[in-house]
Formats: sequence, C-alpha cells, structure tokens
Amino acid sequence: MKRFDIVTLESPNRAPLRIEGFLFGEENLQGPSVAIVGAMSGDHINQLYVASGLVEYLRIKEEEGKIIGRILVIPAVNAYALNMGEKNWPLDKTDLNMMFPGYAQGETTQRIASRLFETLKGYDYGIILEGRRDQGMCLPYVKLIQSGYEDLECTKDLGLGFVHYRPHDPVETAMLQYNWQLWETKAFSIVFGKNGAIDKNVSNEVHTSIVRFLSKREMLNIPVFEGRKSNIVDPNRITLLKASRAGIFISKVQCGAHIQRGEVLGKIIDALSGEKLEKIVSPCEGIVTCQYAHPLIFQNSIVFRIASVELCSHIEAKKN
Amino acid sequence: MGDIEEVLTIELPVGENFRIQRSRYEPLKGKSKKRISVVSGIHGDELEGQYVCFLLGQWLREHPEAIRGTIDIYPAINSLGIDSITRSVPFYDVDLNRTFPGSKNDFLPAQIADGVVNLMRGSDFAIDIHSSNVFLREIPQVRIAKSQEDVLVPLANLLNIDFVWVHDAVTVLESTFAHTMNTIGTKTLVVEMGVGMRLGKAYGHQLLDGLLNLMAHEGILDIEPLKVRFPIQSQVGEVAYLNAACPGLFVPLIDHCQIIEKGSVVGHIVSALSGEVLNEVIAPIAGILFTIRAYPIVYEGSLVGRIFGEKQ
Ligand SMILES: [Zn+2]
Repeated sequence: MKRFDIVTLESPNRAPLRIEGFLFGEENLQGPSVAIVGAMSGDHINQLYVASGLVEYLRIKEEEGKIIGRILVIPAVNAYALNMGEKNWPLDKTDLNMMFPGYAQGETTQRIASRLFETLKGYDYGIILEGRRDQGMCLPYVKLIQSGYEDLECTKDLGLGFVHYRPHDPVETAMLQYNWQLWETKAFSIVFGKNGAIDKNVSNEVHTSIVRFLSKREMLNIPVFEGRKSNIVDPNRITLLKASRAGIFISKVQCGAHIQRGEVLGKIIDALSGEKLEKIVSPCEGIVTCQYAHPLIFQNSIVFRIASVELCSHIEAKKN
Repeated sequence: MGDIEEVLTIELPVGENFRIQRSRYEPLKGKSKKRISVVSGIHGDELEGQYVCFLLGQWLREHPEAIRGTIDIYPAINSLGIDSITRSVPFYDVDLNRTFPGSKNDFLPAQIADGVVNLMRGSDFAIDIHSSNVFLREIPQVRIAKSQEDVLVPLANLLNIDFVWVHDAVTVLESTFAHTMNTIGTKTLVVEMGVGMRLGKAYGHQLLDGLLNLMAHEGILDIEPLKVRFPIQSQVGEVAYLNAACPGLFVPLIDHCQIIEKGSVVGHIVSALSGEVLNEVIAPIAGILFTIRAYPIVYEGSLVGRIFGEKQ
C-alpha cells in the first residue's frame, strides 16, 4: 500500500488541506485499474466509513498477495468540511462535486477539483460513493447517468438490486461522474445511506458489492458469492409519494420493504396540536427504495420512492 | 401608499407559513398600461436591494400623481434567508437562483421559484437587484446573457449604472430567475451592486434614479426622464480576473472603481502570523477595477478583483 497526498492546499491559518490516496497494486501496470472516491461532502459520513473500511480490507488482501489490479481509494475529498460539520467548502460554501472538470487558474474549489481530476484520469473504472442530495435515505443503488460514454454492463457486477439509469440533468455536467465518463473512465456512483450518519447494514452491503466488483473485474484474486441480479430502473418505474401537508413525519416502513397497494407507509401530524393531518398510503405494489429521513417535513416533500415492475395507471393520473 | 399584500404563502412544519409580501402602486385614475416588478432578496445575504425598494416606495408615496402603470415592489423573496443572514433557502441549503422555473409539486425552493414566476408573469419588466455576496464588492452593473443582448442592453443603458456586462451563456445560469422571466416575455435585468450583508447608501440612490428614468422612458411614470450616466459596455473590452496566488489576508491598496495602469499593485496578500507580505497582486491589464474583494481571508484561487480594460 502506498499512502500519499493527491492534493495539498495551504490555508491562511488552519493546517493544510490534504486529500490523501491509498494505492494498492501499484506495480500492476497491465491489469485493470479502479479509483474509488469517498466523501466529497462534509455530511457523507457513510461514504467515508465505507471507503476507509475498504482501505483496511485491501491492506490485508495485499499482504495476502491477492491484489492483481491497481486500486486507488480516496476516502475523503473534503476533510475541511468533515472536520467542522459543514457540507460544502467551508469558506465560500461551494460544492466540490459541482466543480468538475475543474480549472487550474480558477477559484479555490475549481483548482482542487482540477488537481484531483488530473489524478483520476486514466483509470479504467471510477466508483463514486455518493450521499443523497436531499433529506432522504435509501437502499444502496447505482446511479448511472447517460453521457454517451457510460457503461451499463460493468455496474451489474456489483450485484446491487437497482441500477438507476437515466439521462443527465444539466447541473450534472459539472459533477465528477459525467466528466469522468467523458474522459473514458467507466464511472458510476453508488448512492446510499443517510447523510450525517452511518448505517452498518447498508455499509456492509456496499462494501461487499465493491469487493465483488473488484473480484469480477479481475483486480482482486478472491472468490466471491454472487450478488443480486440488477434491475435497471428508469424514472418511469419509480412512483413518488409526496407530503400534502407540513408537520412531523412518522414512517412506518423501512427502506427495502415490499409493500402492497393500500398499505399505510407513514403519517404526518400537526407539530403543535398533534392532530393527524395525513395518512400516507401506497397507491401501488413495489419496493420502498427511498424515504424522507428528517422528522420535520415540508409540504410537497417527497416522502417515499417506490420502485415497481409495472406502471400503475392511477398514479400516472395523480401526477398530472 | 402602496397596496401591501401577502402574495405567496407555503406551509412550514411548525405553526408558521413561509411568505412573500408585495407592495403594489397603481395609477390614481385611468388604466395601467404597463407593469414593472422590482425584486430583491432572492439571495438572503444581499441587502442593497432592500434599500432601493425603500427609496422607491418613499418616492412613489410622495408622487402618486405621476404613476401611470403598475409598480410592484418585492423586497424579500427569500424571506426566511433575509431575516437570518442565510444566502440559500434555509433547511434545504439550495440556491434559490438555481431553482427556476421551479414547480408546485416539488420541494420548498422549487415551490418558491414557481410562486415567484407566477406572481410576475405578465410583467413587462422585472429588475432583479443583487448585491454580489459577502466576498466581493461590485460597482453598479447589469449582467446580460449574450442571447438577450439586443433586447436588454438598450434597457440597461437607462438604469444609471456604471457597467453593462454581456457574458456568454452558461448552462447552469438557465436556472436563474432572470433567464426564466426573459423566456416568458418579461424583460428582466439583473443588477449587481455593492457587497453582501451591507448597505451602501450612494448606490441605492444611484439605482433609484435609474429606475425612475427607466419608468419615465417606458411611460410608467409621467415625469421627465432623468439625466443618467451612460454605462461602460463590456463588448468593447475584456475582463481580467485576479485570483489570489497564495493564502493569507488580502489588503487592498487601490480603491474600488479606480482606473488603474497595467502593472500597478492592486493589493497585498500578507501573513498575519509572520508579518510578511506574501504576494503582490498586480493588474495584468489597464482599466477599471470594477470588482474588489471585501472579505479579506483568501485561499489560493480566491477572486480578489476584476478589471475591465480596452481590447489590446
Ligand atoms: Zn445574488
């Protein structure tokens, strides 16, 4: 294992920012290679935990001589934010994952993104451990955006249940996944957990899926169990349930629950009077993939995302 | 006086509604022919627009007989943010000016955006007043996307500002208030002036004169057009960006809005700890220093100034 600084940046007063990398199989120049990027945001604690867990695991596998590819793990990109409970770059509040491909002569975070991206270029595979961009929590899923250079096939080797495969949003052109794909790395994101917290079961599942990927893609020489068959889900297969009222939100189900049409999934109560304002009922059968994870809820917040095999027509009607 | 109304309310979780208030002025008699919306506080840490709204309201209360159109004043769009020094929409931490056109069936910031668009839909003009951010101080300027140049530059020239900056379209800017409004036929100008969290009285009066002049030209006010300054046009020159070469404390040596020579020292980056001057910030071109850093702590790359100069 080689531990090294990928980016260092002096600060006016605090200790320099260091983005550290852990490289395994440095000598395997011929084999396939992967870079795994952890917490880009200061509340991506689960992502940090999975990435550092991988470093420890790979260190042991390297001692056992099992590393046959080249594997770079970067557990924390935004250590400055992590160390002070901020989400974004602490001075100007910019989101590092909105700065790619970066600009070497630009603003501070553009420079950080640019230097990081220089290191990330040229890897065969790119795995981005992502948190959610809203107040939700979710089952681990693959987020693969269509840039024209994406590779759907390889994501199936993770053995995760769902691959969310969709066109890219304009703002995503400034994100790492899109730019990495443009540079011909087979890049995808694994989105999981709840921001600011560690979920051990979910972390385990993500860890196992990455180990499976490394084995199947011939970077790690160990036998692995088969994972799940990945369901490719486009946005049309996801039903969004929204809160019609604001208040205190109480959920009655866990992510991953297989729910029936008519099942009560949660409720919203008046935060002052305690009166029940809304009962959230599923209009279809499916799997709860995401749910709102903050106890206070706003009107029209997405409360549940339900993945279904079949489109339910009455939901389509409700959307309009 | 203006008709004050709560024009948008959205339920919050604990016994409160999010609200946007508007003050509307209409002609004392006769029908209104045109409508203008004066908007501030899309960013909760920008307060110069609040002062302009005050000045305009004060003027209109004193001259109700001059009013020929509908004049809507919205001093605080992100009202949660304005009252709490929060730039973004609180709780979601989302920049409201990257959420347009928004949607009724989406999260709070998108609902606010949608509400704002619907309130101003049908306005002939909108003036969206920003005051940079807490880091940079700006001379009064209007920023216009290249695609809107023909329609908006003549209008901006009426506003008594110092600089009209026509910039290339950037994809992310398609989600701004101004872009959305311009798309639906409201001629919308984005004014940037001053600095976040502070109030500069002189700029407020300068823009008031500009607003009165624009409204006089468009027949919304029955007054003589004012004598206003003609802004510098960005098309005739180039903008140079001054980024900090190292971290430290930025100490300006030149006043904002000065004409400077190529090679002159704009400021120093110094070390508070060692007492050394770490770096001299040198003007790469001659011109006017239209942006200067107001918040002194810098990292490598932090913008410390912008100069507009003639094309070489
Ligand atoms: Zn602003």
